[in-house]
Amino acid sequence: MFEFLIHVAIMACLYGLLALSLNLQVGFAGLVNFGQVILFGCGTYGASIAFSHQLGPVAGIALGVAFALLVAVAFARLGRNLGADYWGIATLAVAEVLRILANNETWLTGGAQGVGGIPLLFGDMPRPAGPLATLGLCLALLLAAWWLCSRLTGSRYGLALKLMREEPQLAVSLGYDLSVLKTQTLMVAAVMAALSGFVFAHYITFVGPDQLVASETFLIWAMVIIGGSGNHLGAIVGAFLMQFLFAFVPFVKDAFQLPSEYVAAMRLTLVGGGLLAFLMWRTQGLVPERIGGRGNG
Amino acid sequence: MADTVLAVEAVAKAFAAHKVLTDVRFRVRAGEIVGLLGPNGSGKSTLLNVVSGFSRPDAGEILFRNESVAGMPAHRIARHGLVRTFQLPSMPHRMSVRQVLHAGSREGAGLFDAFTPRRGDHSQVDVLLEQFALTAVADQPASSLSGGQKKLLSIALALRTKPKLLCLDEPTAGVHPQLRSRMVELLRAFNGRGVAMLVVEHDMHFIRELCSRCIVLDRGEIIADCAPDELAKNERVVEAYLGKSVERQKVLA
Repeated sequence: MFEFLIHVAIMACLYGLLALSLNLQVGFAGLVNFGQVILFGCGTYGASIAFSHQLGPVAGIALGVAFALLVAVAFARLGRNLGADYWGIATLAVAEVLRILANNETWLTGGAQGVGGIPLLFGDMPRPAGPLATLGLCLALLLAAWWLCSRLTGSRYGLALKLMREEPQLAVSLGYDLSVLKTQTLMVAAVMAALSGFVFAHYITFVGPDQLVASETFLIWAMVIIGGSGNHLGAIVGAFLMQFLFAFVPFVKDAFQLPSEYVAAMRLTLVGGGLLAFLMWRTQGLVPERIGGRGNG
Repeated sequence: MADTVLAVEAVAKAFAAHKVLTDVRFRVRAGEIVGLLGPNGSGKSTLLNVVSGFSRPDAGEILFRNESVAGMPAHRIARHGLVRTFQLPSMPHRMSVRQVLHAGSREGAGLFDAFTPRRGDHSQVDVLLEQFALTAVADQPASSLSGGQKKLLSIALALRTKPKLLCLDEPTAGVHPQLRSRMVELLRAFNGRGVAMLVVEHDMHFIRELCSRCIVLDRGEIIADCAPDELAKNERVVEAYLGKSVERQKVLA
C-alpha cells in the first residue's frame, strides 16, 4: 500500500506540473491550448530517442525541451491570426498530427509498439528508496515550477498576461505585443510539460503514442477547471484530487463487486462529470483566482 | 513642419465598395487639442482606427513625429507615443482597477523583470487614482465600474504610457456631468504637460471648453477645419448636421 501511495503521489506531481503549465497558458494568458499533451509528449519522446540512440538522460532532457520549444513556437505562430477558439482547435489538430507521426515514424519513435526498457532514474537504489527518490525529484520539480509560475504571474509580467487574457485590444492599445507575450508563455509552459514527460518516461520506463491521446489533454483541463483556473495552488489541488480519486476507483469497484471494465468508465465519468459540475455550479474552481490586492505592483 | 506631431496625408479607406474615408488630410501640432466632429457614420472612428494602427489605410501617408506609421502594427504605434482610447471601453472582470492601472505601463513588465528586484511605482498609480476619482473603487473588479468611470479609467490608462498624442473616442459619452468637468480639467492639465490630443466628440460644450481647433468629417471627407466658434457659421457643417437649407426650412416650418 505504501508503494502504491508513492506511485499515486509521483503521478500526481507529474500531472501537477502539466496542470501548472496549462494553467499558465489558459488561466493567466487566456491561451486555450487543446494540444497540451503533445508538449508532454516532446519530453517522453526526448527521453525515448536519447535512450534508443544511447545518448544518456541529459541528452534526453535537452532533446525533450528542444522539441517542446519548437512546438511552442509553432503553436504561437499558428495563433497569430486566429481567434482564441479557432486557435484551440488548431492546437488540437497539430497535437493529433504529431501523435500520428509518432505512431508511424517507426525508425525514430518506435512506432505503435513504442520504446520499452527506458531505465529508471533511481534504478540502482533498493525499493522503496528508489521510488521515494523519484517522488522527491517530482516534488522538487513541482515546487520549482510553482515558484517560477508564482514569480511570473505575481509580477507586472503577470498583469500583462491577464490584460491580454481579458482585453487583448486594450493591451495592444497600451503597446503590448501580444505575439511576444503568447510565444514567451507557451515556451515557459512547454519546458514544464516536457520535464514532466521526461521524468514520466524514466518512471514508467515505456514511451508510446497511446500516451498522447487527446483525452489526456482534457484530463489536464479538468484538473485546472476543478482546481481553479488562474490559481497555481488550484491547478496543483486539481491534479492531486483527480489522481487520488482515480487511484481509489479500483477499491470502490471491489467494494461494490463491479466488473473490471467499470474502472475505465468510472474514471471517464469522474472527468466528464467533474468538469460539467464545476462548469455549471462553481466556475471559479475549488481555489478561485485572487482579484486585486497590492500584488503585481 | 517641425512642430507637427501628426500629419495625415491623402488617407483613404473603404470596406468593400463602401468608401469610408476619402483623401483625408490634416495635421495636429505639438501641444494642440483638436476636436474631430461629424455626424454618425461620417468615418470618425474609422479615422481613429487607421491613425492608431487598428485598421490599415488603403492609400495615403500617416506621419507621427516625422515617422511613417501607416500600416504599422498598433502596439508599435502606441510605443511611439500615439495612444488611443475606445468609444465603448471594456475592462477586465478578473483584475482590480489598481491592477489594470499598474498594467498600463509596460515599464518593468518584461518576462525577465519578474526575476529582478521590483521598482514599485505605487505612488504614480495612487496619484492617478486620486486625480480620476477612482480611489474608492481601486480594489473592485475593473468591469464593475460605471460607464463613465470606465471612460476615466481608460484615459488614466492611456496617460500611464506617457503619450505624445492622445486620441480619445467620445470620452464624455455616458459620463456624469460632474465627472465630465473633472475630465476637462484633467485633460487640460495633461495638455499643459505637452500631451497633444485628438478628440472625437459630439458634445459641443466639451469641444468649446477644450479644443483650439476642430476638424469636421462628413461621408469620409473633411468639410471644415476651423476654430470651434466658427463651426455654426460654416454652411457645409450646418448642412452635414441639419440637411440642406431648403430641407431645414421645411423642418422648421
